[in-house]
Amino acid sequence: MSAISVPTTSALRSSELISSSHPAVVKILNKLSRPSLLSLALDWLDERNQDNTAPYLAEEGNEDEDEQDLYPPASSLAELREIYTDIQARKGSKRDVLDRIIEGDWRDGITLYQLAMADMQYLYDHPSSQKWTALKVVRLASEGEQPSKSKSIPRFHPATFLRNLQKEGLPDVKAHYNLDRHPTLPLLLLRIFIVESPYNTSLALSSKQATTFDASKTFYVAFPDDSPFIYVSLNTATGQPVSRSDNKSLRRLTLEGIPKAFSRPRERYKLESTSLSARNLDALVELRGGGRTNAAGGGWSIYAEEKKNGGDNPLEVQLPTPESDIDELQEDMPKGLKRRRKDDDRVVKRRKMVAKGRFGNTALPGDGKGIERLDIRIDDVFPSASAEPAEDDYPLADELDFDLGVTKKKQSGRRSTITLELDKHDDEDNSGEEWRPDIRLAFMGHHVFAGFRQLVEAGVIDGEKMPGWMTGEEGVSVGVVRDGRIKGDKGSGM
Amino acid sequence: MDSTYDSIPIDDVSLQLDAEISTLQSQISALKTQRSIQTSTILTSRSTRATLARLRSSQKPKSQPPSTSTSTLPNDTDPLLTTTKTHLQHKQENLYRACGTITTFRVRDPDPYAVDKGNVLGIRIDVSSNGKFMRPYYVLLNKPFAGSEGNLLRVHRHTVPPCIPLAVLAENYLPTGKGATGISTNGGKKAPGTKTQDIRKFVRALRREVVGYHNRISVIKGLRREFRLDEKENRKGKGREKVISDISAADAEARQVRIEWVDGRIGRFTVDEGGSVVKAVVMGEQGRDREVERVLVGEMGGVGERLREVIY
Repeated sequence: MSAISVPTTSALRSSELISSSHPAVVKILNKLSRPSLLSLALDWLDERNQDNTAPYLAEEGNEDEDEQDLYPPASSLAELREIYTDIQARKGSKRDVLDRIIEGDWRDGITLYQLAMADMQYLYDHPSSQKWTALKVVRLASEGEQPSKSKSIPRFHPATFLRNLQKEGLPDVKAHYNLDRHPTLPLLLLRIFIVESPYNTSLALSSKQATTFDASKTFYVAFPDDSPFIYVSLNTATGQPVSRSDNKSLRRLTLEGIPKAFSRPRERYKLESTSLSARNLDALVELRGGGRTNAAGGGWSIYAEEKKNGGDNPLEVQLPTPESDIDELQEDMPKGLKRRRKDDDRVVKRRKMVAKGRFGNTALPGDGKGIERLDIRIDDVFPSASAEPAEDDYPLADELDFDLGVTKKKQSGRRSTITLELDKHDDEDNSGEEWRPDIRLAFMGHHVFAGFRQLVEAGVIDGEKMPGWMTGEEGVSVGVVRDGRIKGDKGSGM
Repeated sequence: MDSTYDSIPIDDVSLQLDAEISTLQSQISALKTQRSIQTSTILTSRSTRATLARLRSSQKPKSQPPSTSTSTLPNDTDPLLTTTKTHLQHKQENLYRACGTITTFRVRDPDPYAVDKGNVLGIRIDVSSNGKFMRPYYVLLNKPFAGSEGNLLRVHRHTVPPCIPLAVLAENYLPTGKGATGISTNGGKKAPGTKTQDIRKFVRALRREVVGYHNRISVIKGLRREFRLDEKENRKGKGREKVISDISAADAEARQVRIEWVDGRIGRFTVDEGGSVVKAVVMGEQGRDREVERVLVGEMGGVGERLREVIY
């Protein structure tokens, strides 16, 4: 803590303390569950983290202990670690742990780093707490320049990136950056916590500015390994109507800073929309990651996945046998099928085959790769005499009460960004005289495409006539459909 | 709780049985695979084919007179002949895949709204690395345009990871914009101002990228093995002491490789398309280590050997 605070452009230090009694601290820590809180505290007590997360310890020789102290300070890290391991083994309430942390062992304050760790822990505990939008980092080619062969993926060096990102920030806004490796996915997560203050010392975090301290000033950016995409979290925090426009501009500034931070002299980048946003990071990594599955969604995924016992190998002498796990599948039939009991077996088997053909091994209810919202605008010519087969499916689906929770509604709950995305194609080739009604469909559920698959398997949707966008093979969550295909699709991965 | 306690001895037996069943099942499946391997080996072997050919030729004159005894014979041999044929086809396909490494196939797009009646051309690229074939890479092409541009191909789906610049290659060799022409339309003559699609060049360039990528990765793996970076630490001081602490790819394409020495030096070298090291920088505490830099430049495959010469 320095005596003088000078406005600077550098970032907030990780070891900067925030008073433990600060409402934001209590709020963030209070969101965590008891086991998470305890494991977090043990992480804080790790030797390696002591620079940024040191607890309050009793000083040697300083014997004037306060008798009233509810949580007498421990004398060493090892002792504290023991205490917390003890608490872990015992049963108790979260409140106790929280009080001990705030009023006892970290009574001096919680550092920004600790706060970031707590927020990250919450993100890992609740993977769907943020809504992520996938963006593509595209190289800006100056005119007449041939796109170079190499560098289809900008090189990402975290330290350089952060330094550059910071330069793009406004001088009167300070941010704290924290990078963390996702425990299971090939992702690097960056948490940006913005404080509106020109100072990067404790002055910035003094309690006077308590109002600027909320979750809405926290952004996440995820960097998947070996991939030209990044995922940014949309701000989902609600209930801060006061500073909404403020946050938007902060978010926009941060977003604008990202491609600039990627850029280097003679190598400029920009961000492009990829029409995909979802709460599920697994789904995003699958569709916009560094692997093979980016442009082989839906039924095409059979080409991308690992075959059993090295089946797809030129040295394999055995004939490729069609997979015969249809019989196993038959046992867990959806319950909603009461009619047509007699002719089921063959029909159901056939439907399963069709669903397998269309969806491959994707869109299974338990695969954890579901997107929770699909927005589609149908841009077809109004059928003059006969209805189109695609439209036939919807009324049927509405009648069925499905336990999956897939709801199909027309024109409901649109958000402005989606409307914007859908309207984008509006001004193009609308010269035709035919009437194209504006039909928008929003599919919601915890795994939209698995819902489609179940409907196909249940015979509600005719699997053979179903358009391709319903299988999720395009890998988008927002799109305009014309002639049964997602419009503006320039070929996958192009 | 009591009931579970009581059932523990029974569980023990059932567990044993379960284990036995699972081993038997795995044995069955192993034997089944072995059988199918033997079947295809026998069916595609030269002597079997000779025998079958003889069988066929010996039957031919017999089958002409419509007698009752011969009508049963074809029933016996027909399935044998057809399976032999499919096995032979499969073998031939494998041969092409293993030696030619680029093979094509046709797929039908299951999407009823697919362009060009769902005709899709599949290209399969088989790459081997370290004596093993990797999962093949697939590129699936279709013809989405109508009218005069009907011959233009476009990448529909693919399983190429983003670290291989497929989009750039497609832009170069399969242009689809204005003035682009298909392969067959002008018979190889290049009219000024037009861009011609050339699928052969496209696939070759793509394969070159893919193979180059895998070669770079395997060289890095080899280096790690050579300097024993993936092994456990305490091997009782066997062999030479560790000099290099880390070697890894620094970017997604594995074009840049980072080397870290135990003494704190950090090096980085870039590899060009042909697999040779073009630039190298090694920084130590006393500035650049030009001797090692000079040594690094050259064929990527020999980096380990040359490094070793400097170190030991």
